[in-house]
Amino acid sequence: MPRVSADVVIVGAGETKVGKLPGLESVQLQAWAVERALADCGLKTTDVDGLINLDPYSIPNSMFASTVAEYLGLKTRFQSTVDVGGTVTGMTMLQQAVWAIESGYCEIAACVYGENSLTGRPADATGLQMRNLLGGEEWEEPFGVHGMVTPYALLAQRYLHLYDASTADLGEVAVLTRQHALNNDNAQMKKPMTLADHQASRMISSPLRLFDCSLISDGGGAMILMSRDRARHLGLPYVHIRSMAMRGTHNTVAQNPDIEALGMADAGRDAFEAAGLGAADMQVALLHDAFTISVLITLEALGFCAPGGAGAYLRTGAAGMDGACPLNPHGGLLSQAHIGGMLHLTEAVHQLRGTAGRRQVPNARRAVVSGNGGVFSVCGVMVMEAA
Amino acid sequence: MNEPAYLAHLMPQTEDSEPFWRACNESRLVLRHCGQCHTVFYYPRRLCPACGSQRLGWHTASGRGTVFSFSEIHVPFAGPDWSSQLPYTVVLVDLEEGPRMLTRLIGDTRAELRIGDALEVCFIEVDQQKLPFFRRVAGH
Repeated sequence: MPRVSADVVIVGAGETKVGKLPGLESVQLQAWAVERALADCGLKTTDVDGLINLDPYSIPNSMFASTVAEYLGLKTRFQSTVDVGGTVTGMTMLQQAVWAIESGYCEIAACVYGENSLTGRPADATGLQMRNLLGGEEWEEPFGVHGMVTPYALLAQRYLHLYDASTADLGEVAVLTRQHALNNDNAQMKKPMTLADHQASRMISSPLRLFDCSLISDGGGAMILMSRDRARHLGLPYVHIRSMAMRGTHNTVAQNPDIEALGMADAGRDAFEAAGLGAADMQVALLHDAFTISVLITLEALGFCAPGGAGAYLRTGAAGMDGACPLNPHGGLLSQAHIGGMLHLTEAVHQLRGTAGRRQVPNARRAVVSGNGGVFSVCGVMVMEAA
Repeated sequence: MNEPAYLAHLMPQTEDSEPFWRACNESRLVLRHCGQCHTVFYYPRRLCPACGSQRLGWHTASGRGTVFSFSEIHVPFAGPDWSSQLPYTVVLVDLEEGPRMLTRLIGDTRAELRIGDALEVCFIEVDQQKLPFFRRVAGH
């Protein structure tokens, strides 16, 4: 089983505002997020000697760790830009930070991502017109597939067919996470949503409607890591990473294994086994929700319910704020903001430290974070625990 | 009914794919075949994704398959000129030979499409390139 060292911990988490943030490019957003994460744990930029980030997707940049490090005035002993996919990228940043700190390459590392996906797009763009390629274009573009909604729609159609599920099951995810976002002052969506609103939202790529799709956002999120000894010495509250596992199985949707063979189940099994825990031991679930279908598949893959049972599971209330394991209390990518899943990770830190304010899950001791990039092409699962 | 004016965003061909697109222009759907482990795969690559062998040949596919999944697209993701195509349907087809292929579904009976339906290839020329679109087999 892959193990994560218990000697390195997360001491800080910070977010910028999210939504439409004109006048800020990705470098400023990432710097702002690092500044917030440092303020969260009382450290200064001059304390940081490690920086791990992801460059913006809408306008790809090279050497973006160097760009952000210079802006912040960092003198680093370790830096790297990682791109695995979705929240798995953020998890991999944390994993690299743990490796770098435990091996002595740096002492205090910042992990950060942020970009101006919303205001940084060309004015005439439809959908998220990314200028970077995702691979496989030669086998998708000639047939009219462009971007990520249709690949997920193909997955969703398959799901509905396999389990005789309905689009109301998809709607449960949208409605629940919208309700949660209303407890979060830093969320893009501020209006309640009903299942009828979801079902009446316009069709994008069947069976996915507008309210099945995540937001496009400006914003950033960051975390600060150091050795547990140092955190104790400084008297800082911290959160443990108990385990992290990932699987990469394919890239493009035509190469997808069928739903139950996607990498999420294997990644989840590894992560839970390495932590010696299971879904029933979690008090909060931060599941990557680029589309509503992602959450149904992930709940099932992680063992919160049987294959095909996610809609019924959600209707029991188990994933609500008063349930056994609240889902995305911050509102997630669907209703808070889409910052590549970095805010799933910062939310886990807030929840486990008891600093989540109005949206605090009572007695949250353990959190599971899931991520998937591409179309479940890479899947990652991380288990975190309060100190 | 006249065939509508289909749009297709053609991408640069590579050494791997040029024989595939050339065969399409002869109205043939060809797939890579591994001489080592006999896997038939799509899309064409320089080695077999199942065993790594480079002993590869080409196999002419029957052009028949069944629907694994599909989606009807209502947004011109590829640009405003695609509004003329809306709505259109894309399908994941499980080809008779094994591989799964992403393609566009054409024909009058698109709206009745179900997973498991039988499809057949149907070459449509766009910008001097014949594309392997699929249509429902009559009676299915």
